[in-house]
Amino acid sequence: MSAMPTRTPSKWGGVSMFFHWLIALLIVALATVGLIMVDMENSPTKISVFQLHKSIGITVLALAALRLVWRLAHRVPAPVAGTPRWQHLAASGTHAALYAMMFVMPISGWLFNSAANFPLKWFGLVKLPALWGPDRAVKAWALDVHVYGFYVLAVLVLMHVGAALWHHSFKKDETLVRMLPDGWVADPSAPSESPGRTTS
Amino acid sequence: MIRRNAFLSAAMLCSLVALPAHAASYRADAKSSTLTFSSSYQGEAFTGRFGRFDANIAFDPANLATSNFDVTITLASADTQSSERDDALKGADFFNVAKMPTAHYIASKFRSLGGNRYAADGSLTLRGVTKPVVLNFTWTPGAAPALVGDANVNRLDFGVGGGQWADTATIGNAVKVHTALKLVAASGAALPVKK
Repeated sequence: MSAMPTRTPSKWGGVSMFFHWLIALLIVALATVGLIMVDMENSPTKISVFQLHKSIGITVLALAALRLVWRLAHRVPAPVAGTPRWQHLAASGTHAALYAMMFVMPISGWLFNSAANFPLKWFGLVKLPALWGPDRAVKAWALDVHVYGFYVLAVLVLMHVGAALWHHSFKKDETLVRMLPDGWVADPSAPSESPGRTTS
Repeated sequence: MIRRNAFLSAAMLCSLVALPAHAASYRADAKSSTLTFSSSYQGEAFTGRFGRFDANIAFDPANLATSNFDVTITLASADTQSSERDDALKGADFFNVAKMPTAHYIASKFRSLGGNRYAADGSLTLRGVTKPVVLNFTWTPGAAPALVGDANVNRLDFGVGGGQWADTATIGNAVKVHTALKLVAASGAALPVKK
């Protein structure tokens, strides 16, 4: 079906999918690098790994800003048919919180970096300004936001992924498939394409 | 018209004994004097300051031969407004303050560069290494003279940040040292004597 902007689409568009999966991948990379780097002995390698974490984080911030604009400018798929209101509200709340964390995490990291008086050069290419001058109080506060924000984000991601898998594997609806390109994963709500079911 | 009291007599005696005249001795006023250093970190310039140093300056533009600098710098007072960087600076890989808490700069050879500009051909001892370091400075005479000077130091000459930290892409080798001293007459030393 070709795009009909006046109607509610049945699945997410290509740009939305691109933002969703790229940011998801980068958040996993950020968490992995972030958890490794904080326990490293001080060395030039540690500085490079921090630099990588900061650069990916700034990338997510830019992508999140573009994604938010895109999201607000386009219609989004309605909840799958038969979704109870409380589930729709829970999903919307989780999505809103995930969007918020896509800004809170990079901005708190950038603020911490600024207050700690570290330089910030995106992948060694683009120098970014400090958001704040050297400041111990702001530095400690921003780090708290970043660290506790990570736990909040981790819980949100688990809820989000858990709900998607629950829809896909137990409710067998198209919630997950709607965020995937056609044909990547079979739609469990379409019997003829269900995996594990042999067609005669 | 000299009033004969014991104090002045002693001062006069000192000045007589000190022939030929020594350059007047001063100490840097800790509150209004600064000693800073700047280099690069990840390609970005940063500046730090030493909060504690003791500068003993004997200088007379008319008597360079008897002029003398003796400066002791407390390395643990290095402050680059980044606690992580400052902790690293104090550590064994850099200043190693646990073993060598101070740096020492001495100079007894001076050259006039014209006007109120001079050069001190001194030597810096840092981290157990002594190397020649030239301090170019301006001297503003007066009751409280001002000395503003600059020196260039290569950190790797002194083994500051060797080994894995020798990579100058992370931390630059060239360090610019800048000082602005407000000098006061050293207590107990030469009183101003009018000729």
